[in-house]
Amino acid sequence: MNDSKRFSLAVLVFAGLFGLWAGSSAMGLVSPFLLPSPLDVWKGFVGLVGNGKLADHTGISILRVLMGYALAIVLALALSLMMAASRVFAALADPPLEFLRQIPPLALMPLIMLWLGIGEAQKVGIIVLACFFPIFLGFRGGFAQVDPRLIEVGHAAGFPRRELLRRIALPAALPAIVIGLRLGLGHGWRALVGAELIASSAGLGYMILDAQDLARTDIVMVGILVIGAIGLAADAGLKALVRWRMPWIRQDLELRNG
Amino acid sequence: MAELRRITHGYPLPDGSRKTVLQDVDLTLSQGGFHVILGRSGCGKSTLLRLIAGLETPDHGRIDLTGDKVGVVFQEPRLMPWLSVEENVGFLIKGRVAADELAARVAAMLRTVGLARVARAWPDQLSGGMAQRVAIARALVSRPGLLLMDEPFGALDAFTRKQMQDELVQIWRETGTTIVFVTHDIEEALRLGQSILVLEEGRFALKFALEASYPRDGAEPAVNAARQRLLDQLFARTALPDRVATLKRTTA
Repeated sequence: MNDSKRFSLAVLVFAGLFGLWAGSSAMGLVSPFLLPSPLDVWKGFVGLVGNGKLADHTGISILRVLMGYALAIVLALALSLMMAASRVFAALADPPLEFLRQIPPLALMPLIMLWLGIGEAQKVGIIVLACFFPIFLGFRGGFAQVDPRLIEVGHAAGFPRRELLRRIALPAALPAIVIGLRLGLGHGWRALVGAELIASSAGLGYMILDAQDLARTDIVMVGILVIGAIGLAADAGLKALVRWRMPWIRQDLELRNG
Repeated sequence: MAELRRITHGYPLPDGSRKTVLQDVDLTLSQGGFHVILGRSGCGKSTLLRLIAGLETPDHGRIDLTGDKVGVVFQEPRLMPWLSVEENVGFLIKGRVAADELAARVAAMLRTVGLARVARAWPDQLSGGMAQRVAIARALVSRPGLLLMDEPFGALDAFTRKQMQDELVQIWRETGTTIVFVTHDIEEALRLGQSILVLEEGRFALKFALEASYPRDGAEPAVNAARQRLLDQLFARTALPDRVATLKRTTA
């Protein structure tokens, strides 16, 4: 299926879902408290845009996700490069990392609060933990799958190790890295509400939790829709960036095995 | 000039022992020559090339390459899929020569191998022959004194293969590069080699010079005589008696 067909299908699916939502609300099939009508959500959205709160919350959340995402990329790249460069280091680092990978970031929240406090560092820390593993596994898998015959080309030409990594291993690993980056970005967004769960006074996660306390499900829905829409847009942006800057990655960029 | 002295090399086997692939090999490669190493699959010819290229270190023996830059062309093109044809050609000298010199050398090399019109193409848009030409251009653009080629035309169809052989001879005469060319194809060896070295079971079984002008006619007397020597060496002594024995067994 080509891109325009895929896009048309996505629009159709969203339109269908919206129709179901609007229809069930209009026919009174579900309580407006459990599922507010599209019109109520729209009114809530307009109100939040009007008083500037939505922009403030969204801006803060985007900043947190970007900071966490960037940090996770730096950490994942550094660790995976070190593991690619040294088998001993890889053997030492693998078991604790595999252990840590099994633990959901929210389970680490109490410790993170003790270590990082309840300010921005804690929130960014949770997002780092959520994004890190998909990105790290993308780098690791990418480096592990580099065709050794390509490395030999550089080796035969006398490339030093650093040049082999930078000019051959890194670009050769990019298809797997890109998939890790896409997964990581999604995980970062999904961790947002959890990160803004405690001692927060701003952000989309806070907005949703605050609305829950005030029984404003319309605002909860606005928060959910905005998070989903920004996540989709970020993913599409990342895909477009890859197509533009890395046109050789013509293979399917879709995420396999979730 | 390259010299190999008493090279012995092997690979570890799963049972912990070592399989010897090359045994006490001596080789002197004269400057500017076209040396063809001919042998059956598994005779150690690719290993020998990898040792000269520095991709492996011999278990015993010495390899002296006197100041020569070495270029390698592998069996497969091994192009970087994220780089265009021209970027692939310049890949090994990028950062080692000035940008304008890089561009000039790449453009000249693309003309030499007849690929100027696909300079901007991606490797996966090329045919097998074109991709292998890019690989040859990439090896030559760094102006190696010694060019090592490991069955580079093995995967090409007969027509492309013959054309590439002629082009390679042309390039060799223009550049004066010493070439070591590994093949298992007797006709290819006869078409290309100034000196032909037959490798059997890890040792040189036959070495001789072939004084015939290029492009070679396969039927001229010098080539015919060389063909007979190679056939005698490669089939009469080993394979044929085996085959005859097998035939006798199966018909008995």
